[in-house]
Amino acid sequence: MAETPLVAAERLSKTFQVKVRDPGIGGAVRALLRPRYRQVHAVRDVTFRIGPGEIVAFLGPNGAGKTTTLKMLAGLLYPTSGRVHVAGFDPWNGGPAFKRRIALVLGNRQQLVWDLPPEETYQLNRAIYDLTDADYRSRLEELVILLGLGEVRDKPVRQLSLGERMKCELVASLLHQPPLLFLDEPTLGLDVTAQEAIRRFLIEYRDRHGATVLLTSHYMQDVTALASRVLMINQGRLLYDGALDVLVARIARVKRIELVLGGADGVTKDALAAFGEVKSFHFPNAVLEVRREDAPATSARLLAALPIADLSIEDPPIEEVIRQAFAQGFEGADA
Amino acid sequence: MSWARRYSALIRTAWLVDLQYRASIVLWLLWGVTEPAIALGIWWAIAGSGTVGGYARADFARYFFGVMLINQLTIAWDSWYLDRWIREGELNFRLARPLHPAHEAVADNIAYKARTASVILIVWLVAAVLWPVVRLPATPGRLALTAVAVVLAAGMRFFISFTTGLLAFWTTRATAIMELHAGVSLFLAGRIAPLALLPPAMASVAGVLWFRSMLAFPVDLLTGSVHGVDAVLRGFGTQLVWLAFWAAACRVAWTRGLRRYGAVGG
Repeated sequence: MAETPLVAAERLSKTFQVKVRDPGIGGAVRALLRPRYRQVHAVRDVTFRIGPGEIVAFLGPNGAGKTTTLKMLAGLLYPTSGRVHVAGFDPWNGGPAFKRRIALVLGNRQQLVWDLPPEETYQLNRAIYDLTDADYRSRLEELVILLGLGEVRDKPVRQLSLGERMKCELVASLLHQPPLLFLDEPTLGLDVTAQEAIRRFLIEYRDRHGATVLLTSHYMQDVTALASRVLMINQGRLLYDGALDVLVARIARVKRIELVLGGADGVTKDALAAFGEVKSFHFPNAVLEVRREDAPATSARLLAALPIADLSIEDPPIEEVIRQAFAQGFEGADA
Repeated sequence: MSWARRYSALIRTAWLVDLQYRASIVLWLLWGVTEPAIALGIWWAIAGSGTVGGYARADFARYFFGVMLINQLTIAWDSWYLDRWIREGELNFRLARPLHPAHEAVADNIAYKARTASVILIVWLVAAVLWPVVRLPATPGRLALTAVAVVLAAGMRFFISFTTGLLAFWTTRATAIMELHAGVSLFLAGRIAPLALLPPAMASVAGVLWFRSMLAFPVDLLTGSVHGVDAVLRGFGTQLVWLAFWAAACRVAWTRGLRRYGAVGG
C-alpha cells in the first residue's frame, strides 16, 4: 500500500435509529401514540486505508454495511463516530472541491434525466463541473470509445437498455475525470456481456488515469476480475481486509479435483468415493472434493489407479467460499 | 460566468423535460386559471350591481386576474420533489455533485414560472382587449413595487415548500403537511377571496403570519388596493421578516436533516 492513503477510515461507525412498528392497524396506532425506536448499527468500528490506483471491493450480504460505508466515504452520510479522510478532505465538510474529486455511481439510482437523451445530462454536468469545451469533447469521445457506446446519445434514456443506461451513467459520472470512483453495484441486473464491458472499461480507465476505485457488488465475477483487494463486511464489522486469493486459501479447507475420465464406462461413483467426496459425477466428468493438504497426493493416487484423460485442481467456487466464510464467522481469516 | 452557465443549463434541462409532458403543462395551466375563475364567478354573482366589502364586480375581476398571474409567479412545488428525492434516494447523486440541490430547485422554479406566467400574461392581455374591466391603470412605480413584492413572495414560498419537503427526513407525510398548508392558504393567502372580506380576526391572523405576504399583498399592490406609504412599508417589512424566518428554517432543516439522512433511500 502507498504511504499516503487516498482513503483512510478510522474506527468508522454509523448507527441509525429506526422506528419499530408492529403490523396491522393496531400496530400503526400504537406507533403513532407511543413510538418505539431501535438502534441499528449499520457500520461498527471499521478501519482501513486505501492507496492511489487500487481497486477495492466491498463484499458482504445484503444489509452488511457496504453501501453505508461507501456513502460515508462519499460524504453523503454523516458518521456517528470515527474519522474519514478522503482525497485530502473530510468528506462531510469537503464541499464542492471534494465533490469534484469523486464520482458516485449507484446501480439502482441514476442521475441520467429519464425523459431526455443522455447527451442532455452530459451537457448539464459539463456546466455543473465547469468543463471547458475542449475537455468536454475530448473526455466524452474517450469515454464513448472505451465503453463502446455508439448511437445511443440521441435516444431518450427511458428507451435505452439497462446496459446502455449504465454505460451512459458512467460517462456522465466521469466527464470531470475524478481520481476516485465510488461504485455501488455498477453491474446490477446487467447481462453477462454488459457486465464484462463495464469491467473491461473500469480496468482500462484505472490504467489510463490512475484512478482509485471502490466498489460494492453481489457478482463475484466483478470482484475476481477487478479487485486486487477485498474488504469483507458483515453486520457492520470489517471481517477481512486483504487479497481475495489469500482469503480463499484460509477459508477454503478443501480443493476440488476435476476429472475427465478416459477409457470405457468402467469407473463407478463408488470407486471415486474412495478418493474423496464426490460433488458430481456424469461420466466422463467428475468432481471430487478433498482436504486442501491432501490434494497433491490424492491426485497422484487417482492418476495411478484410474484411466484419467484430464485432471485439474481448483479452489471451490468463490461464492461457496464466501458463504462458508460468513457461516463460520471468519475463523482463521485475519481481519 | 460559471453560475450563469450552470443556471442556463439547469433551466434548459427543465424546459426540455417539460416539453416531454406537454399535456400535463396544459392541465396545470388550466388548474391555475380555473380556481381564480371559479372564485371570480362566485363573487361576480354575489356582488351583482352593488359592492361586497367595498369590492364591486370590476374590483373582483381585477383582483382575481391578479391572483391568477401572481399565484403562478410565486407558487412552489419543491416539497413534492424533495419528498421524492429523499424517500426514493434520488438525493444521493445530487449530494455527490459540486452544486447544492437547492440550485436545481430554484432553476426549476424559474423555468416553471417563466413558462406558465407568460401564458397567463398573454391570457390577461387578450382579456383586457376584449373586457375593459380587467385593464389595470398601472404606473411604472406600482409595477416596480409589485415586482419586488413578487420576488419576495416567490422566495418565501420557495423556502416554505423546500422546508416542508425536507420534513421527509423525519416523516413520510411531508407532502400531507404541504397539502394542509395549501388548504389553509386557500383562505388566508387570499386565493378564494380578498382578505378584506374575511372575518377581521382571520384577516389579522393572515396579516401577522406569512399568508398575506405570500399572495394577497403583491396582488393588492398590483391592483392599487394598498393605500399609503405606511401600508406599503408594513407589507414589505412583513414579507422580509417571514422570508428571513423561512430561509433560516430551511437552513436548519437542511443541516439537521442531512445528519439524519441514510435510514431512508437507496
